[in-house]
Amino acid sequence: MIKPDRRLIINFDWTLLVLVLLISGIGLLNIYSAGYSMTDFQRVPPYIRQMQWILIGVAGMTAAFFIDYRFLLRHAYLFYAISVILLVVVFAAGYATRGSQRWIAIGGFTFQPSELVKLTLIMALARYFDRHQLGADHRLRNLPVPLIIVMIPFLFILKQPDLGTGLILLILFISLVLFVGLDWRSLLIAVLGSLIMSPIFWYLLKPYQKERVLTFFNPERDPLGSGYHIIQSMIAVGSGGIFGKGFLTGSQTQLKFLPEQQTDFVFSVFAEEWGFLGGVILMGMFLWLILWGLRITLQAKDYLGALVAFGITILVFWELFINVGMVLGILPVVGIPMPFLSYGGSSMVVLMTAVGLLMNISVRRFILQS
Amino acid sequence: MQKSQSRLNGYEPGHFRKKFNVLLILIFVALTVIVMRMWYLQVFMGDELLQRSENNSVRLRKIKAMRGLILDTRRQVLVANQPSFDLVYIPNRTRDMTRTIERIKTLFEPRSLTLPSLGALTGRVKPLVPVVLERNISMEKVAVVETHALELPGVVVEVTPVRQYLYGETAAQVIGFTGEVSREELDQDLEERLTPGDAIGKFGIEKFLDSHLRGNNGAEQIEVNAAGKAVRSLGKIPSVTGGNVVLTIDAALQEVAWKALDNRPGALVAMDPRNGAVLALVSSPSFNPNLFNSGISHGDWERLANDRRHPMENRSISGQYPPASTYKPVVAAAALEEGLISPETSFYCNGAFQMGDRAFRCWQEKGHGHVNLHRAIVESCDVYFYQVGKMLGVDKIGAYARAFGLGSPLGIDLTREKSGLVPTKQWKLSRLKAPWHVGETISLSIGQGYNLITPLQLANLYATLANGGTLYRPRLAKQLESMDGLVVKVFESEKLGTLPVSPRNIRIINQALWGVVNDKGGTGYVLKRKEADVAGKTGTAQVIGMPQDEKARRTRRVSADFRDHALFACFAPHSHPEIAVAVILEHAGHGGAAAAPVARKFIDAYFGRVKTPQPLPQENEKTTRENATP
Repeated sequence: MIKPDRRLIINFDWTLLVLVLLISGIGLLNIYSAGYSMTDFQRVPPYIRQMQWILIGVAGMTAAFFIDYRFLLRHAYLFYAISVILLVVVFAAGYATRGSQRWIAIGGFTFQPSELVKLTLIMALARYFDRHQLGADHRLRNLPVPLIIVMIPFLFILKQPDLGTGLILLILFISLVLFVGLDWRSLLIAVLGSLIMSPIFWYLLKPYQKERVLTFFNPERDPLGSGYHIIQSMIAVGSGGIFGKGFLTGSQTQLKFLPEQQTDFVFSVFAEEWGFLGGVILMGMFLWLILWGLRITLQAKDYLGALVAFGITILVFWELFINVGMVLGILPVVGIPMPFLSYGGSSMVVLMTAVGLLMNISVRRFILQS
Repeated sequence: MQKSQSRLNGYEPGHFRKKFNVLLILIFVALTVIVMRMWYLQVFMGDELLQRSENNSVRLRKIKAMRGLILDTRRQVLVANQPSFDLVYIPNRTRDMTRTIERIKTLFEPRSLTLPSLGALTGRVKPLVPVVLERNISMEKVAVVETHALELPGVVVEVTPVRQYLYGETAAQVIGFTGEVSREELDQDLEERLTPGDAIGKFGIEKFLDSHLRGNNGAEQIEVNAAGKAVRSLGKIPSVTGGNVVLTIDAALQEVAWKALDNRPGALVAMDPRNGAVLALVSSPSFNPNLFNSGISHGDWERLANDRRHPMENRSISGQYPPASTYKPVVAAAALEEGLISPETSFYCNGAFQMGDRAFRCWQEKGHGHVNLHRAIVESCDVYFYQVGKMLGVDKIGAYARAFGLGSPLGIDLTREKSGLVPTKQWKLSRLKAPWHVGETISLSIGQGYNLITPLQLANLYATLANGGTLYRPRLAKQLESMDGLVVKVFESEKLGTLPVSPRNIRIINQALWGVVNDKGGTGYVLKRKEADVAGKTGTAQVIGMPQDEKARRTRRVSADFRDHALFACFAPHSHPEIAVAVILEHAGHGGAAAAPVARKFIDAYFGRVKTPQPLPQENEKTTRENATP
């Protein structure tokens, strides 16, 4: 299955590749601008780093493309286990930034296993649902194993603590379960159950996480912390106007009002410099990407491929929506990166690899036979 | 394109089509919400938010935390804080910096005040990023700037806390200094408590206990007017002052030691043999740590860094010297313990010791005649120790030296402590690629040759003899306190080991050390006090080999750089020791003549101080420990 097939080239999904590279290229320009006036102490400028990440990501994409996805998915549990072990390593020996222990260092690079878990969780759940097809909607009593699959990494990530990534895992799980089909009575019980459980969940949150949720509802609560982020972010986006201030000239950005402007708040940099028009075009590109992913889902030749394609597409959608919603002040600040735009290696490499898998599924619909 | 309806494992492509209606609605609604929100912010609110960003009048100002105090063992303040008034310029797109600076200059000139040249600054100015024009300006300048505030848009006087080293040069090496955090330090700060521009301990205790002393910065969101002056505060997180550190150092004794060394290159270390607490740690020559308070000037730095006398080096822990005769007790202890000699064993000294075709001389050219161990130590007979050393061999001596804490850092609460050197056959083979010669053992047994020792190790060695054989870790930090004086942590004494020497043999050696100072003819007789309570040993370390022929030796009026180092180590009172002192003076000549008087001044001051009504260090420690236990 590993030998290159001519059909892989003929039927290659150029649309997907061009879209993703275009969006990442915009992200790179944007990071160049965000770091432009930094009187910074980092020895490697962020955009150079990001370029390295994109290249590593393309390598991951290539690997994920050439190996038949059914072969890869046969080892889904193994990938899942490795990523969970990495989470345990972080738990035991990782190092912390801003009070949260998320990183392990490999060579000169730092790596965030929680990003990897997003992909391996999709693979593991897809594998499980593929092997346990019911021909009918699932009911709650069919779901203990998938629930365990999601809860193990979820609890480790919550412990780090990283509320945003934990949330994404839960959302991925719910999306996939609803996608494969959930009996409406089970759905009702689950919704009611989680409503009752939410006070307990609130109790489990760290003080800073509670603070963030409260600040979301009332930004004035904490004008120096996350409230400051939201206010400055909204000023940055709004001041961009219709046409934007232009590349490298966003004053909010260049004056470093936003401490996290390269990572989670990167969209505010883009919106300030490229305005409403730029924002709409970027959102249009993402919409195209998401619809393209759903098309691949629909056309996939097998149940497994469809599930994986859906999982990856919906991951991009939710990350995009939650991140941009946060930057625009309509969702709380939870620390989820913007896909392909946020500065950060783990997210970029994992997403690129996921896109490789998507291409894999896209191209093999022409190859797989019964 | 292949139009096949083939099924894979009974799967029909398009299986999920019925879910897609809901899915597509979800996605379109979500993206519509985002685009509508963007419309609201960028088009509807756009002009207003643009205005707010243009003259973004809200600034986040860092409130620098004050560092904790450093106190001596009697709670005398060694390091405090003082305000520094810094002249700061906040650039803005619409302002002309050069004109403002010219304006300041014209205001200053008639009052014969000056502003340092700022040519280099103008290039790297970024809007709203404050530029420091001059640190720690005089009150007169503050007054001029404040009264002409309206003519000087963007110019503000910021008050920041800086260190005040009350004992200046006296304790500069121990206490150290602070400086602006470097890129490397920022990279290594995984807790992310540091931000560029913060002060961080760079040297000495300031560095070693930095995380306790530093405190946490606060922040304030302020609204500024068109001139860049703060109008009102929108929110504030106060800074948290760092914790205090109490040292084992006694500032008064430190000062006595510093004066006794009198700016000659050398070091003095004094410690309590009962627990390893360091009472004085002086390195000379020294520097003024207050120079570093508001960023050291280039000229001052050049002068310090290029000074041939190396004032920045802490000789007491990183100076390495041949121990010379102060090493003899180690050799004596080894020989007694190995049963090679008894106190009565005597050797004949005729002024030299013949080894093959080479003669190893005794410092006493006429020779000492028959000498036993007591006299050999008291009169520092070299020939006696040549004999004993030859019997022991290099590796036996080395093993005992290591047991005395030589050859590796003792772990004092400072960085850059050196290890000294205890040579062995293996060491020479691997480092110098040459076999050991017996002749080298001979030099070694009187503390010459490859042997190296730090003043701290020397003091610790004599402290170990004084307390009967327990090796303690030398300590500088006595306790950590919160900023309001609550005890956070008390450092207890730490045992590093016990000497493999019997109490009886230690007593024999200590008796001889007492004789060095109190017997007529002892090499340390100058130190004899009327209480007759000091025990010690002189040492004279050759910097170059002693010339072999008689004539050369007599005409050796060598230049200062080749003169011998003078050493003296002692403890007192002899019967129940409470202080051990080591003095090393570089190129000062004979140990008894040059180093012993320094130790004498220190010992006199110590006992004079103990008699004063102030609490004894010992009692002081006891009471604070009681306070510490809740």
